[in-house]
Amino acid sequence: MSLLRSRILNSNLPRELIATCTLTPPHREPHHRQFSVLNRPPPNYEGHVPLTKTERVGMAIGSAVLAFLNPRRAETNKDLIATLGETTSQPYFITRLRDTMLLTPSGRRILRLRPRITSSTLSLPHLRSLPKNTLGHTYALWLDREGVSPDTRDAVKYIDDEECAYVMQRYRECHDFYHAITGLPVWREGEVALKGFEAVNLGLPMAGLSVAAVATLKKGERSRFWGVYGPWAVENGVGARCLIDVFWEELLERDVGEVRRELGIEMPVDLRGVRKAERERRRKGREEGERSGDGLGIN
Amino acid sequence: MNPVLSSLRARQLSGVRCRTCARLLRREKRSFATASGAGDPEGDPEIYDVVCVGGGPAGLSLLAALRSHPTTSRLRLALIETQSLTPLRTFAPQPDSYSNRCSSLTPASVGFLDGIGAWRHVRRERVMSYGGMRVWDGVSGESIGFDVDGGGGGVEGVKEEREGTEGSNGGVVAYMNENVNLTSALLRRIEELGGVDILEGEKVEDIAFGEDTPTADLTSWPVITTSSGTRLAARLLVGADGANSPVRTFAGIESRGWDYNRVGLVATLKLSGPGWGGEGKKIAYQRFLPTGPVAMLPLPGNMSTLVWSTTPALAARLKSLSPEDFCAMVNAAFRLRTPDLKFLHTIEGGQKDEVSWRETHTKFSREQVPQDVVAVQPGSIASFPLKFRHADSYISQRIALVGDAAHSVHPLAGQGLNQGQGDVEALTQNIIYNVEHGADIGTRMNLEGYGKERYWRNHVLMGVVDKLHKLYATENLGVVRVRSLGLGIVDRLEGVKGWVMRRAAGERGLF
Repeated sequence: MSLLRSRILNSNLPRELIATCTLTPPHREPHHRQFSVLNRPPPNYEGHVPLTKTERVGMAIGSAVLAFLNPRRAETNKDLIATLGETTSQPYFITRLRDTMLLTPSGRRILRLRPRITSSTLSLPHLRSLPKNTLGHTYALWLDREGVSPDTRDAVKYIDDEECAYVMQRYRECHDFYHAITGLPVWREGEVALKGFEAVNLGLPMAGLSVAAVATLKKGERSRFWGVYGPWAVENGVGARCLIDVFWEELLERDVGEVRRELGIEMPVDLRGVRKAERERRRKGREEGERSGDGLGIN
Repeated sequence: MNPVLSSLRARQLSGVRCRTCARLLRREKRSFATASGAGDPEGDPEIYDVVCVGGGPAGLSLLAALRSHPTTSRLRLALIETQSLTPLRTFAPQPDSYSNRCSSLTPASVGFLDGIGAWRHVRRERVMSYGGMRVWDGVSGESIGFDVDGGGGGVEGVKEEREGTEGSNGGVVAYMNENVNLTSALLRRIEELGGVDILEGEKVEDIAFGEDTPTADLTSWPVITTSSGTRLAARLLVGADGANSPVRTFAGIESRGWDYNRVGLVATLKLSGPGWGGEGKKIAYQRFLPTGPVAMLPLPGNMSTLVWSTTPALAARLKSLSPEDFCAMVNAAFRLRTPDLKFLHTIEGGQKDEVSWRETHTKFSREQVPQDVVAVQPGSIASFPLKFRHADSYISQRIALVGDAAHSVHPLAGQGLNQGQGDVEALTQNIIYNVEHGADIGTRMNLEGYGKERYWRNHVLMGVVDKLHKLYATENLGVVRVRSLGLGIVDRLEGVKGWVMRRAAGERGLF
C-alpha cells in the first residue's frame, strides 16, 4: 500500500486528484475497512488475529469439514469447533448475542465485570463442600463425573470486536454450566443434544452445524436423538430464557431445581441412565439368546 | 379610539364595500368607541374585513402581512386570542436562557418575514443559522451529510445575511429561533403599524351566521361572539387557532389523520462547546431511532435545542430522570446502539454511569455527533403529542384556515411552522389580488386560489414526512438494509442531495 502510494505521489497526476484518491473517507471506521493478507491491521485485543473475508470463509469451511470427517479430533481437542464457532458467528450472530446481554441487568453486569470461569476463579473444593442440592455442587459433581476441568478452554482469536470476543469466551466457559444444569454428558451423543439446545437458545451457527454430527452417531443413538433429545433441545431452547446472560457465579449457592425452573429448563432423561439400561437390556437379551441357543443345542 | 380617525377609516373602507355597509360601519364604529371596545351583545355585530382567530405565528404574521401591504393596509382587521399577549410585549429574555419551543425557519419563511417588516424586530442575537445537517440511521449507522457551503447545493441566504450582519455570506439551511421571539417580533410589527383591533384574553364562545337586519344582511357572514360578549362579523374569518380549531369546526371541515402514539420531547440544552466547527459553522443533527427521530438543533453559543420523538412511556421515564441522567440519555441517543438505549430506558437512575461505560465500547466518531450535553436548562423539558392531521379543505364560504388549524405534521423535517408561513403568504397574496380586483375577499370562489396553491404542496410534503417516520420506525433487518442502501446512494448523488436541500430550505419549483 505504501509502495503504491509513493508510486502515485511520484507520478505526474494532478495533486488534488491524488489527494482525493489516496485519502480514505473520514466517516468510514477502521473496523469496516477492507484489508488483504499483506497489510493485516494490528490486533484489536491481545491474541486477536484479524482475518480477511476469504480467510474467514475458508477457515469456516475447513474446520467444519475436518470436524465432520474427524469427530474424534473435534472432541478431544476443541480447536476445530472453536474455530468454526468464531468464524461463523461474525458479523451478525455474535453481535446479536451481545445485544441480548445488553438488554438485561445481569447480562450488562457480566459485560462490565467480565468474569472468567477457571479453576482459579471458581474454587472446586469449595463447590464440592456446598449442600448437595445447590448449583455449585451439581456443577462440581458433573466436572468430577465427566473428568473435565474448566481450564481447557481456548482463547478467542478471530472475533474482531473486543467485546464480542469476550461474549464468545463467556459462551465457551459457560458451556460446562449448560452441561451441568441439563446433566448431559460429554460423549458425542450428549454433546450433540446440548449443541442442538444451544443452537436454538443462543442462535449460534456453529451449534447448529454441530448437530450435523448426528449423522456420525450409531443407529440407536441417532434414533434416540430424533425421538427424545432433539425434540427436547428444540422445546427447551425455545422455552428457556437466553442462557448467555445468566450470571452463573452468583447462582452457585442456589437450589439447582429452583434455578432450572427460573431459567425454564426441563431436565432431559438421564443419558447415562438410559445408556446403562440399554446396555443392560442388550446384555440380558444376549444372555437369553445364548441360553436358548444352549438349550437348542442340548435338545 | 378617536372617533374622527375611525370615521376616516370607515370612509376609506367604503372603497371596498357597499354604501350601506359603510354607513352601518360608521355608526357602529361610533358606538364601539363610546363603549370602549366592549361590543353590545344585543345590537348589531362589529363588521370586519378579516377576523383572525388565534395569535400564534401564523395568525400574527397574516395580520402583519396585511397591514404592511399598501393594498390591504386599510382593511379592517381584528385578532382574537385566548391568552394575554402581554408576555410577548414584555419579552425580555436572559441572554443564556432559551425557550424550549423553538422552530426552524427556512430561508423562504425568513424572506417572507423580512418582506413584511417583521424580521428586523426579531432579536437576532437569539437566532442561530446553520449551514449543515447530519442525518443518520440509528440501526445501521448509514448517514447522509448536507452542507450548503460544500456540495450539497447552495441556498441563498436572505438579504440580511448578504449584507453581512452575521459576518457570513455563505448558504443557510435554516434558522433556529424561539417561537416566542418570532411572535413577539410579529406583535411589535403589528403594533408599529397599528390599526388591528386586538381582543386578547378572550375565548371564542360562539360562531354563527348573522341575521338579516334592516341595515345589513349578514346571513352568510360568520359572526363571532367572544367570552366578553363582543360580537364581530367577518367578511373573511381566518382560523389560525391551532389543531383543535373552533373555526374549522364551525365551517364543518373535517380534519383527517392519525396519531403517531409518539410525543415530541423538547428541552434546552447546554453543550460542552459551540459545535465542532465553532460558532460560524453550526450543524443540525438528527438520528433516526426505532422509537422516533432525535434531533439536536443549534442555538447561539453553547446552547442547543432538543426534539426527541419517542413513545409516551419512554418520554415519561426521561422526564422523571435527574438532570445528569437526562443529559446522559441525550448523549446516549446520539451515540449508543439501540439495545443499550432500550435498556437505559428501563432503569430508574444511574444512566450517567452506564452511558460512560458503554461509550468506551461503542464505535462512533466524536466529530460526527453533537458535542457532549453538559446541562439541561431547568424546567425546559416538556412534551407534546405528535399527530398527522390534514383538513379536507382550507377554505369555505368566508372561511380560510392557516397553519396548524389546517395541518399538523411530524416535526422530523422541521417544516410545521414554515408550512404555516407559506399558507399565510399565499392567503395574503390571494387577499391582495381580490382587493386589487375589487372582488369580495371572503367568497369561496375568490378563496379557491389560496386552497389550490397550498393544499397539494402541503399534502405532498406531509406525505413524505409521514413515510419517512414510518420507514425509520422499524428494526426489521430487510427494511434497514434497503433504507440504508437508499440513504447511501442519495448521499453520493450531489444533484439529488441539492434538490432535497433546496426543498428543505423552502425553495419552490418542481412541485
